[in-house]
Amino acid sequence: MATITRILAKDVSAFWPRAFFSTSNAVFTSSREAPLKDPSAVIAKPEEVEQKKKLSGVITVPTKVDISPITGVPEEHVKTRRVRIYMPAKNAMQSGTNNLNYWKIDFDNRERWENPLMGWCSTGDPLSNMQVEFNSKDEAIDFCEKNGWRWFVESLPAPKKEKPKSYGINFSFNKRTRVSTK
Amino acid sequence: MAGREAVRKTVQQVRPILSIDRDEARKRVLNLYKAWYRQIPYIVMDYDIPMSVEQCREKLREEFMKHSNVSDIRVIDMLVIKGQMELKESVEIWKQKGHIMRYWKETVEPKPTDFLSKFLNNQN
Amino acid sequence: MFRVPLAKAISLGSPKRVANIAVRASASAASTPAKAPERIEVFVDDIPVQVLPGTTVLQAAAMVGVEIPRFCYHERLAVAGNCRMCLVEVEKSPKPVAACAMPVMKGWRIKTNSDLTKKAREGVMEFLLMNHPLDCPICDQGGECDLQDQAMAFGSDRSRFTDINFTGKRAVEDKDIGPLVKTIMTRCIHCTRCIRFASEIAGVDDLGTTGRGNDMQVGTYVEKLFLTELSGNVIDLCPVGALTNKPYSFVARPWEIRKIDSIDVMDAIGSNIIVSTRTGEVLRILPRENEEVNEEWLADKGRFACDGLKRQRLIAPMLRTPSGELQAVEWESTLIAVAKAVRKAPKGSVVAIAGSMADVEAMVATKDLLNRIGSEIVCTEQSLPTQGSGSDLRSNYLLNSSIQALEEADVVLLVGTNPRYEAPLLNTRLRKSYVHNELELALIGPKVDLSYKYQHLGDGAELINQISTGTHPFAQKLKNAKKPAIILGSEMLARPDGAGILATLQSFANKISKPEWNAFNVLHQNASQVGALDVGYRPGVETALKAQPKVVFLLGADAGIVTREKLPKDCFVVYIGHHGDAGATIADAVLPGAAYTEKQATYVNTEGRSQQTLCAVNPPGLAREDWKIIRALSEVVGEPLPYDTLDELRERVEDIAPHLVQHGKLETNSFATLAEQLAKDKKIDNSKITVRQQTLKDYFMTDPISRASPTMAKCIAAVKKQEAKAH
Repeated sequence: MATITRILAKDVSAFWPRAFFSTSNAVFTSSREAPLKDPSAVIAKPEEVEQKKKLSGVITVPTKVDISPITGVPEEHVKTRRVRIYMPAKNAMQSGTNNLNYWKIDFDNRERWENPLMGWCSTGDPLSNMQVEFNSKDEAIDFCEKNGWRWFVESLPAPKKEKPKSYGINFSFNKRTRVSTK
Repeated sequence: MAGREAVRKTVQQVRPILSIDRDEARKRVLNLYKAWYRQIPYIVMDYDIPMSVEQCREKLREEFMKHSNVSDIRVIDMLVIKGQMELKESVEIWKQKGHIMRYWKETVEPKPTDFLSKFLNNQN
Repeated sequence: MFRVPLAKAISLGSPKRVANIAVRASASAASTPAKAPERIEVFVDDIPVQVLPGTTVLQAAAMVGVEIPRFCYHERLAVAGNCRMCLVEVEKSPKPVAACAMPVMKGWRIKTNSDLTKKAREGVMEFLLMNHPLDCPICDQGGECDLQDQAMAFGSDRSRFTDINFTGKRAVEDKDIGPLVKTIMTRCIHCTRCIRFASEIAGVDDLGTTGRGNDMQVGTYVEKLFLTELSGNVIDLCPVGALTNKPYSFVARPWEIRKIDSIDVMDAIGSNIIVSTRTGEVLRILPRENEEVNEEWLADKGRFACDGLKRQRLIAPMLRTPSGELQAVEWESTLIAVAKAVRKAPKGSVVAIAGSMADVEAMVATKDLLNRIGSEIVCTEQSLPTQGSGSDLRSNYLLNSSIQALEEADVVLLVGTNPRYEAPLLNTRLRKSYVHNELELALIGPKVDLSYKYQHLGDGAELINQISTGTHPFAQKLKNAKKPAIILGSEMLARPDGAGILATLQSFANKISKPEWNAFNVLHQNASQVGALDVGYRPGVETALKAQPKVVFLLGADAGIVTREKLPKDCFVVYIGHHGDAGATIADAVLPGAAYTEKQATYVNTEGRSQQTLCAVNPPGLAREDWKIIRALSEVVGEPLPYDTLDELRERVEDIAPHLVQHGKLETNSFATLAEQLAKDKKIDNSKITVRQQTLKDYFMTDPISRASPTMAKCIAAVKKQEAKAH
């Protein structure tokens, strides 16, 4: 599911709001009645209008944002954690690969134990269950920078070589690829 | 470390939260500070905490100065909003004595910071 | 939550985007400009793709990110084409074609999602499920089962299987094929992947099929163990739960476990692994794909010895009491006791010896500490001749051709090594080359079964001289080869005439080396060895023993090379390691360290590739990460090391050798010719060449972890039982 929304968000976000607003506008223009006005906008003072207009614009901030003061993550878990940015590896037990093409972050491992009461898993790590998926390495890096974590990127293994496979070599008479057992 | 890359752009255009420039953000911070400053005698009295007004004002200053290096206008705004919420909760007595005393962290045992003590404590 | 295949989810978008998403599946295919002009164009779901002639339909589809369901097809095994799950429609073809076996033709339009394709898949799936038991809730494969996945994605949503006569489903007797692989043969869908793996990759023709049609069975023909050094891989290959992990059976479900990427340290190959853990316990180890190192296989020791991580562990610091017993004490008193001994020792009488699993960080910290207290003697258990250039030049002690490139070699000479057990995954590369590349091999050393045919030249050391002087007929073959390689076992270098063998083979290798191809290779057995030599450790314990040490640090040195008898009487032995083995028994102070699954540490494999393990679980009890122990000790000694965190320590490592922190990258080396000039002594004794690991039972227990593993003990017992049998 996450995969779909991720892709949708990327491609579709540009035209979604437009599509919505255009339809609602069409309703207003077609009707004969005077367009409805927001009462709070009508009674607003001029300076309030001014402020609202300003707020609808944009401001310039440095790209390097540090949101760690407002995230609520304890300082201990901002300063002492190392984040690993990587692409999840294929599970050796399964052959499917469609759910692997994303980037992920992982924190260094903290203590984990079996709870003596019920035998469930307990952990001393509040961040280890955070599962965030990213479309690209840079997005993951930005996310870590923003949260003030130290990070490192795991390099991807080399791509496989393209090598055509052949059914025929199973039966070749002069090669060692000839199959023995069935 | 290996793999660390430089951030390319230095500034970006974003939507504001409350303030549109630094002066406005600063004004909001000072307003919040003043509001707290004025409310502290009542908070001390209402909650009956074992702290003097001066100690509380010191703590107030400390809490504000903790974020003195924040430069992003949006983060400042967000901190102001959070501070406003705290103030509201304190003044309306939605909190209890323990919540106020938590600012002093009296019951928190400080964790060691030097390597050897951390090693003996098995702390990362 | 079930994930809809990517291609399906975005099929509303333009076809071009689909191609962009398959970044990792085959990076070379779509992105590199066609270098060979003879590529042909085909269309997969109307997306054009340029492929090499002979490419199968399934491979062409994979290039644009369309994954065709399959059971029998595996990209590293021969094409079998017997499961029929990969049937797809091709325009103008009267029947659906089996995508895994059918080469594409120019201009073909392949439809992987058409009604005909879907109908074919549903039909195949229905037949498969008709004879597959409904025991998913008690099946170990549940949750990571290809049959489950594909039944969900491509199967029909209703069944026509009504057993009106109550005849029951097909049932097959389970086979006992050893202590590692559990078989539930009723679940088998006859994909024959295990059979193909055994005969092609592992090189043992033990598995096969008997019977036809509904009576077909996969088995070993006679009652026999399927025990090779690679047998665990058939568990991964099995798309259903017919072959499962015996030690792991009924232990955990895939959704309960955490997976942490790591590196195997049981041999010097440095296989990439995934460690599965739950509640601070390592449950199993799976291979992780890395084309350059282990492809996607894993040797049995790396996979199954992980239960040794829970036994014989050192969980508290210990000091030897005057009565001669080791007694568990607090960290403080242990560190003080060790520091006292270190301070009392005169300058230069403190030595350190690194064992087979020591990581680079701990070794660097130890070396720094010893240098600070005025000692220079740090060495490794495994020796290497130090005459000539010794360990100063990396090309003297590396597998210079690199593991992946050895696949391309055409003539290989093995000297004093049994790669099948010393480095099983290097042996699979050699076997792959033997099968697909007509590789010619010869061996000097004891006659062993390498799982492929080779020319056995003999086991006399004089043969090395005959080869190098060119009087032996095989020397001519090496000279004429395009990519010749000489692989020298690390045990040869520990011989008294190791320097002579090294120098002789190196000068011969330089003669036959080509530009961009270094024929000289050393195959190590210890995961720590190359890293230790890279950071300046001295190979061999002789110098350490000769120095009459007062304090000896054993960094997991468990091979039994250092014994009490060889050390002076008043010597204080400090053992830093994770298992109570040979090293801990002779120690006066035991400092419990972390095993490879419990620390983030760097290891360098035999080809010189530095890779890092990650911390999967915490060290048990009072055990600590090794480098932290050294760092803490340094402070008690009064010479604090200038790093408090792993990052700071890694910066120090980077100062010594920058390639060690470039994880995953292979650092090339040169100076091979220089090494030859520096080498002086070329004398070789005419003694017999022998290797330690000759048969399978020698393979399973070689290091402290595998010696503590009950599974490995069962394997040895099983092999012995098998040997005692008549056939």
